[in-house]
Amino acid sequence: MSQKFERVQPGEKVFDWLLLLFSIGVLLEAYRIDGIPSVNSPGSFPVGLALVMLASSVVILVSHRRKRRDPRIRNALHEAQVFLHEHFQPHIVVFTFLAVAYLAAIVWASFYVSTYLFLAVTFIYFRHGRVVSSLIISAVAIAVIYALFTLVFRVYLP
Amino acid sequence: MSDTFSFLLMAWLDPQLLLLTALGTLAGIYVGAIPGLSVTMAASILISFTFSWDINNALALMVGIYVGGVYGGSRTAILLNIPGAPSAVVTAFDGYPLAQRGEAGQAIGLSTVMSVIGGLLGTLVLAGSAPFLADMALEFAPRDYFLIAVLGLLLVSTLSGKSLARGIFSVALGASIGLVGMDMVTAQPRLTMGSMELLGGIHYVVVMIGLFGVAEAFYQLHNLTKVPIKQKVDKIIPPLSMVLKYLPLSIRTSIIGVIVGALPGTGGDIASLFAYDHAKRTVKNPSSPFGEGAYEGLVAPETANNAAVGGAYVPMLTLGMPGDAVTAVILGALVIHGLNPGPMLMIETPHIFWFTVGNLALANIFLLIFGLTGIKVFSKVVEVPKALLIPLILVLCVVGTYSINSNMTEVYWMLGFGILGYWLKVFGFQMGPVILGVILGPLLDETYRQAMSSVGDSGGQFLLALVTNPLSLVLTTVIALVLLGQTPAKTWLTSQFQRN
Repeated sequence: MSQKFERVQPGEKVFDWLLLLFSIGVLLEAYRIDGIPSVNSPGSFPVGLALVMLASSVVILVSHRRKRRDPRIRNALHEAQVFLHEHFQPHIVVFTFLAVAYLAAIVWASFYVSTYLFLAVTFIYFRHGRVVSSLIISAVAIAVIYALFTLVFRVYLP
Repeated sequence: MSDTFSFLLMAWLDPQLLLLTALGTLAGIYVGAIPGLSVTMAASILISFTFSWDINNALALMVGIYVGGVYGGSRTAILLNIPGAPSAVVTAFDGYPLAQRGEAGQAIGLSTVMSVIGGLLGTLVLAGSAPFLADMALEFAPRDYFLIAVLGLLLVSTLSGKSLARGIFSVALGASIGLVGMDMVTAQPRLTMGSMELLGGIHYVVVMIGLFGVAEAFYQLHNLTKVPIKQKVDKIIPPLSMVLKYLPLSIRTSIIGVIVGALPGTGGDIASLFAYDHAKRTVKNPSSPFGEGAYEGLVAPETANNAAVGGAYVPMLTLGMPGDAVTAVILGALVIHGLNPGPMLMIETPHIFWFTVGNLALANIFLLIFGLTGIKVFSKVVEVPKALLIPLILVLCVVGTYSINSNMTEVYWMLGFGILGYWLKVFGFQMGPVILGVILGPLLDETYRQAMSSVGDSGGQFLLALVTNPLSLVLTTVIALVLLGQTPAKTWLTSQFQRN
């Protein structure tokens, strides 16, 4: 009798191991609240939750026994390559970098300036050029944000 | 009685509330329809802007967004074969083949009318059942609340992901995030990793915006260049004979939608799947084979997912347990405005309940108006490229998060949760259970400790109370059955049962 196996995604096993480590970290942090907790103490529920996380991450890892790697993936190195190719495509890396830079820039360059630059650069990059229209769309977006959030919603912006 | 009527009609008679409901519904249709935007994302961002508003105004806008958004997803499912929302995934099965046959206008018109019928029936059930349920809930002990929250989170874990273990992990992760900060009773820091900044806890709106906004924006980067195939839309208003023909199916699937929607954590996506399955099993002679443009395959999910809206409000308003991710956000809005969702809401602030009922009905009327008009403008707007949409989503997330406490650290947390959410999503974890965990985690902790205190901190007495109190026994049994249903024991028991 042939058995059907679920496919494991590239990187999934590593991620699930990281979740197990994270659960152990949460358990240690919960233990720090009041050591081994009594049934009704500030630490009892966090310890309980951490144990639930730990148990479920163990079950997730054990479930890999019922899964198989994509037959097109030859070995661990190839799996790493496929994972990087899927999730670290240039536009994803660039957007992540721009997002982090944008958040860092808000503090010293003000919200409107950094937002305009972020939008303009991202639009130009994503749209493969089209500089003029990207700059205009960014300016319109800034105007709408100002009108909507500052004038209508009266939100305080950084 | 006259008070009830005045609260019911408040949104209908106040021009400002009327306008906000209309705006919310219209915006919801677009938010729900544009792939990459979601109702939960919009409601999460919106909650931070409406902090300072009057509660009725904030609720009117959110109810409109919710009702419009659940429906809006169907439009792109029919026109572009891209469901704008998870609840419209099933709609695409028959909606898109209908559009390919040149019947896009009729399909949109029929789905609009059926969505409104479902929405109104769901509202009717909410109005009829919630007061009784709230009365019953007043008798609940903290132990019962604890069990209901456990059951809700368990159902979320079971129904919303690819495995129970992943669902339970997501819920526990969310609940742990919800517990970060000082303990309510002893003021002891919990899960703060020694950080002073975390003593005040992590605001759940920050988590919501990160998980639903930023994570989705990153996830959509994989489809940056996907170009949808456009369809021609002609006559949109369906003939009355057509509406009457599908009305019985619509009523049946409305009931399915309300029941499924009322289960904590399920929502319109699961309701539409159940309804589609029901239609497939019960309709003997569909207009076309299912999956090839059957109107029955369009009517069933569209009625059910809008009926689920009313259903989702039932546990949220009567028990303080959100029915799905959007009602979790709305529950947050009620708490922020100093209200107490749960059975006391009906006693302390009945006007909020009746206002919500009236407002839901009004939003459905606006849905009918906006759903049957403006299709030409709509087809243009939904074509907005992701290259423009994704950076704008990030900017909105920044504005939304910063506006909560004017704190840039929370914005960095939001990005962190967004990146975490992206990876969780990639590896099959759902965001809904995490958010429900964040919301229900503190409630679970509180009710658990109250229940323990009531039995003198005795674990044995607590366990005994679970089986000696009738309601607790029912809830414990249901929890045990749900857990059992996820184990190999279920298969074994089923085979034994069939053998006998």
